[in-house]
Amino acid sequence: MLSAHSITKSFAGVPALKGVSLEIRPNEVVGLIGENGAGKSTLMRVFAGTHQPDGGTLTRDGQPVRLRNARDGAANGIGMVFQEQSLLLNLSVAENIYLGQESQFVRFGLVDWKAMRCAARRQLDKIGVDIDVTARTSELTFAARQMVELAKALTLEETIARPLVILLDEPTSVLSGSDIEILFNRVRSLKSRASFVFVSHRLDEVLRISDRVYTMKDGEVVAEHRASDISGPELHKIMVGRGLHTAYYKEDRQLPPRDEVLVDATDLGAGDTFSHVDLKIHAGEIVGIAGVVGSGREEVTRTIGGFMSHTEGSLKIMGEAVHFRSPEQAVRRSIGYIPRERRLEGLVMFLSIAENISLADLSAVTKNGLINYHAERALATDWISRLHIKAPGPDIACRKLSGGNQQKVVLARWMTAGSRILILDHPTRGLDVGAKEEVYELVRELSRQGVAILLISDTLEETIGLSHRVIVMRDGAVTARFDAAPGNKPDQVDVVRAMV
Amino acid sequence: MKTYSDIRSFMSAGWLQGAIPPILLVVLILIIEIAAPGFLSGETLMLLLSNTAVLFILAAGVTFVILIGGIDLSIQAVASLASVILAQLLPRIGLWAFPVAILSGLVFGILSGYVHVRLKVPSFVATLATGGVVAGIALWIADGRAITIEEGGRANTAWINGTVAGIPAVVLIATLIGLVAFFAMRYTRFGRYSLAVGAGEPAALAAGINVPRTKITAFAVSGMLAAIAGTILAARLSSGSPNLANQLLLPAIAAVIVGGTAITGGLGGVARTAVGALIISIVRIGMTFVGINIFAENVVFGSVLILAVAITIDRSKIAIIK
Repeated sequence: MLSAHSITKSFAGVPALKGVSLEIRPNEVVGLIGENGAGKSTLMRVFAGTHQPDGGTLTRDGQPVRLRNARDGAANGIGMVFQEQSLLLNLSVAENIYLGQESQFVRFGLVDWKAMRCAARRQLDKIGVDIDVTARTSELTFAARQMVELAKALTLEETIARPLVILLDEPTSVLSGSDIEILFNRVRSLKSRASFVFVSHRLDEVLRISDRVYTMKDGEVVAEHRASDISGPELHKIMVGRGLHTAYYKEDRQLPPRDEVLVDATDLGAGDTFSHVDLKIHAGEIVGIAGVVGSGREEVTRTIGGFMSHTEGSLKIMGEAVHFRSPEQAVRRSIGYIPRERRLEGLVMFLSIAENISLADLSAVTKNGLINYHAERALATDWISRLHIKAPGPDIACRKLSGGNQQKVVLARWMTAGSRILILDHPTRGLDVGAKEEVYELVRELSRQGVAILLISDTLEETIGLSHRVIVMRDGAVTARFDAAPGNKPDQVDVVRAMV
Repeated sequence: MKTYSDIRSFMSAGWLQGAIPPILLVVLILIIEIAAPGFLSGETLMLLLSNTAVLFILAAGVTFVILIGGIDLSIQAVASLASVILAQLLPRIGLWAFPVAILSGLVFGILSGYVHVRLKVPSFVATLATGGVVAGIALWIADGRAITIEEGGRANTAWINGTVAGIPAVVLIATLIGLVAFFAMRYTRFGRYSLAVGAGEPAALAAGINVPRTKITAFAVSGMLAAIAGTILAARLSSGSPNLANQLLLPAIAAVIVGGTAITGGLGGVARTAVGALIISIVRIGMTFVGINIFAENVVFGSVLILAVAITIDRSKIAIIK
């Protein structure tokens, strides 16, 4: 029905898809799995027409098609249920379902709202859900919104003669167990009329709903299985790719932590995002938190970084109880935050390397309250050579650097500020293998110097490989703790079991 | 072949790197020099600089706010209020009227900053509203009329209208303020933090910068400089009036943007605003030369502002313009 042949796509020179070929047959559910950054969402957007491939072809019913935008995708019977929900929350359910397709209800230049509501009602009946079409979308639960999205995608049936292909991009990530079951039942009953592509990183769900499963890794399809032929743990091994490389994560340089406790959280909680979290990080220790999106691990790191305030429990930094109301207060307590959104939160992209390095602590380059530009440049030049930052000089704007070099500038900033606690939030996201390795080396060196490190990462492999201890979170609570001494790293399958 | 967008991106880069505005200024000076040789020397030059001084002080203040990515629309009201306070207090407390008038600007600047930062009201709304409040107060205490600074008060304003070594005092004051503002922007933490907040607020926050304090300080500086501009204007015209600075908001903001400070924040500075203010002043003179009615000057400044923003705005930085 729909197939991709050697699709390639790059963003700013970084390849996201490296020649992907796959096929979706009539009346089947195709699962698509892969870690963050494997290229799943990019591929979905190529199918939907919102991204255009750099190379390769798409065919629909054997005919090559070119999708220039989402409208072209829709014209070819391809509908997408978005990961970030695409509904406008200030509109009613009916208005959302027919957003952009109002012309069919226009009579004498005015929209016949009653006709639209009836039509919307019919769409929702098709998938068998009972939602008030006049309700404001913001009043619906996430699960109900997902159903509205599905109904919206199915409106294509009315204008397209051939069977539809519906793309479900991580539809279950915001749903609870029973809601997932409802969604799956709808998908199963609609299978006779449409094909589905189901993207998720929850392997058990993918196996339950899909007929066939494609596994993606680093922008390529690395495996194809019938869902009945393979188990979750086997699939996970393929998805993650290689076994643990002890050398890659410099495990031989993993030293035992010191006695001093730098971070001590007891019964920590913040609103309904996480609660009862106990967390101790010693000087020189790397603690990784594993968990899926929504597990609360992001919020734990944001709380310790001062971006959120805790509402329960206590947080002690270097023995003193703190209650952060801004990152500034955390920085004063010697905490440095290395964010996942490097371009947004990590660096001021329009400022120079020198200005970014000194930003957290200008005291090293100020005399009598005035910034000494000479000292500031000298400091930056020193870091550029020590960390092998590839840049023509300290005055270059950070936006001109590659991702790996940008990350080194962020690290140089916190080292300049003398941070004793570092929060690494996906420190290697978007970096190539060589740059990752350099970051790992720096992390080991910081650990050797006695910096306490809290790590969350895209890949479990990285979390386990780097950490002294791994804490697993699910639904805002700690579900397991693993010791991860060199040579005694926990098995990924065990960690995953506690995550899902 | 050069397309429109090529030319636009070339102009945008040149402008924001600070190269084009000084060239434009020189070209304008040359045009005046050719049209009226000797015009820009001696007395007329001093008059031009004196007239630029008030505009520059206003524009220098608002530069701080634009650099952090905001806008201050209250400056003309703050300047007018300061003129009224000065005119009313000069006969009673003499020279002390100056600090009181300037303090009022500081207070309302802090108020604008506070409303913007703590109540999370967009700066254009916050300053539009505080500007309205300030204008109302000015009308109220002046009873809606211009207040003439009488003979007795004028003794205390004479120093502003005088000269030092042949240079008008207002020009010296503006130069001093310009230098202080320039060094504050370039060499102090506040200046650096302002640039960081304007260029990337989330990153500035994550780096541990006190973003609220930086923003409120910028509004405080803007309010204070607006009040200084208002007192100088009052002294020069020997009158305080609730409408005194009413035509100055547009040229002041135009001076900042034409000088090469990005309307989106994070890029620019006070030196550029000095260039921009001179450009605006020379354009104003040029208009009288070519016979454009002086009442129509804001038609020109409005057009200039639109053009400068359209040329310089970095569309890669802002996806949706509202």
